[in-house]
Amino acid sequence: MGDVPALRDAPARSAKSGLNLRFIDWIWNIRGSVPLAPGQSSDEAFSRLDPLFDQPGTTYERTGDALSFAKKDQAAQDKMSIFDVGVLQVEQSADGPVLRYRMASRALLFCFLAPFLFLAFGQLIVAVGMMTAPATEAAEKDKKDEKKEVVRKLNPIDEFLGAPAPEKPKKDDKSEKKDDKHSPTAAYVFAALFAALYVVGRLLEDRLIKNVFRRSLQTP
Amino acid sequence: MDGVRVGNRLVGTQSPVTIGWENIPRVEGGPVKQFIFTYFQPAVLFALILFWYYAPNSIAKASTAIGIGIAFKLLLLALEWVNPRYASWRLTWKELVTDLFYVGLGYTVLGLVENHIGADVVIEAVRNSYDWEKFAWFTSMPLLVQAFLILFIFDFGQYWMHRGMHNFYPLWLTHSVHHYITQLNINKGAVGNPIELLLIGIGIGGFFDFLPRAALLAGAMGMSIGIYQHINVRFNTPAWWRFLFNTTEHHSLHHSQDFEATRSNYAANFIFIDRIFGTCIDGEAELLGMEGGRRMSIREQMLFPFTEGWKTTKERLGRSRRAKGQFAEQDTVPAE
Repeated sequence: MGDVPALRDAPARSAKSGLNLRFIDWIWNIRGSVPLAPGQSSDEAFSRLDPLFDQPGTTYERTGDALSFAKKDQAAQDKMSIFDVGVLQVEQSADGPVLRYRMASRALLFCFLAPFLFLAFGQLIVAVGMMTAPATEAAEKDKKDEKKEVVRKLNPIDEFLGAPAPEKPKKDDKSEKKDDKHSPTAAYVFAALFAALYVVGRLLEDRLIKNVFRRSLQTP
Repeated sequence: MDGVRVGNRLVGTQSPVTIGWENIPRVEGGPVKQFIFTYFQPAVLFALILFWYYAPNSIAKASTAIGIGIAFKLLLLALEWVNPRYASWRLTWKELVTDLFYVGLGYTVLGLVENHIGADVVIEAVRNSYDWEKFAWFTSMPLLVQAFLILFIFDFGQYWMHRGMHNFYPLWLTHSVHHYITQLNINKGAVGNPIELLLIGIGIGGFFDFLPRAALLAGAMGMSIGIYQHINVRFNTPAWWRFLFNTTEHHSLHHSQDFEATRSNYAANFIFIDRIFGTCIDGEAELLGMEGGRRMSIREQMLFPFTEGWKTTKERLGRSRRAKGQFAEQDTVPAE
């Protein structure tokens, strides 16, 4: 067990810097609560959750009814692999004791920001394309002058087997040819992909971890 | 751990490995499942060869190849879900995000860098510096021979680059990041430090002039052979395929936590190149990675070659200074 950054201090820290993170920290924080089994003490609850924290790269600390943890270089199959720090607390509610948790994930934040990164890559590709366009066009023209268009033939074996013969190069096509090397389409596709992955991950991981906690606490 | 003797090597002394095809588990399930997972790989390879050989010119284009590539990857992801080789390699949301980040880099900025300062520029420079028209005979060969040669020449270059990476420290620094992956799936081939990804793209195959259809055939062959390197699917791969081509079994051994096992199976497609040079080991491993399977964050993957290189340089400089200091002390000892 080592030093664990206390997440409970986070609101105070953000207040100090004049920035209220509460409105946006749902992006990388997952909060929730799971009811404890009837008559379950906090000691019993945390001992049931122990296997989740006995993982490589995980440190945790118990103080009274709360447990705070930090994870580094989480294994791929660690059930809490997306979380880096967090606090779990047993509280009394009207319906009995509940486990409340708040856990932060760099992976969620990364996935949330990734679409912006790929949009920027798209813009960069367009910008480089615009900067290099005149030079490339000139080079292409030179090449065209140098090379005589040769109509290539298939090997007789391929002709016999019926493979389609190569087409004659179309001269008009080349001038209208799009600059495929500087197309931002792939970057935009990945931006959309990461946006969709963020939505899926934010909902899925929220549900998965709730199920893991519920199963650990309530399975007899 | 005792390890297993393979030729002059003792493999598996540091981490468990399985050596020999007879010891590799087979697909479990009914006859239909057995049939599918036995003939899937050759069926796809031959179907794609036939498709690209006979497709009319209006269809035989790079955009079709990209479309087929994406559809094929989605199918393989589904197979990984249905019939994983190891449950411990199962894809999670976080792994998928990490992998796709690297796949995305390959399709965007790495492509851009390659066009301007990377492999494409090197290839263009070499092509312009020599009258490659003398190699026009290449295009008059049968299409499948051209396709095989494109792939083989590229693979041969890549074999030595990869082997070099495992034997020359500055190159290893860039490649080591890829060896920190702790599980295999079809996107893991893209995970690594970007510098390595630029180096591995340099292949002599690009220098030759070939028919566009031959290039498409080579691409399809490369895809339907090379993609199985990193797949998390249990296949009953036919013996002839395992003899000729690199498989996920070979490649898992290459990624094992056992050092001696990692120094094997370097070729990307044609494992027979490893057989020729004595670096092939037939077998598999489940426990992968470095430092006992520590998973690296993306941030560390990006910086590792530099931080590790700096650390090593500092250590070496320190050692040589200390050594000099010792000599100096010895020199000043009065000779009595």
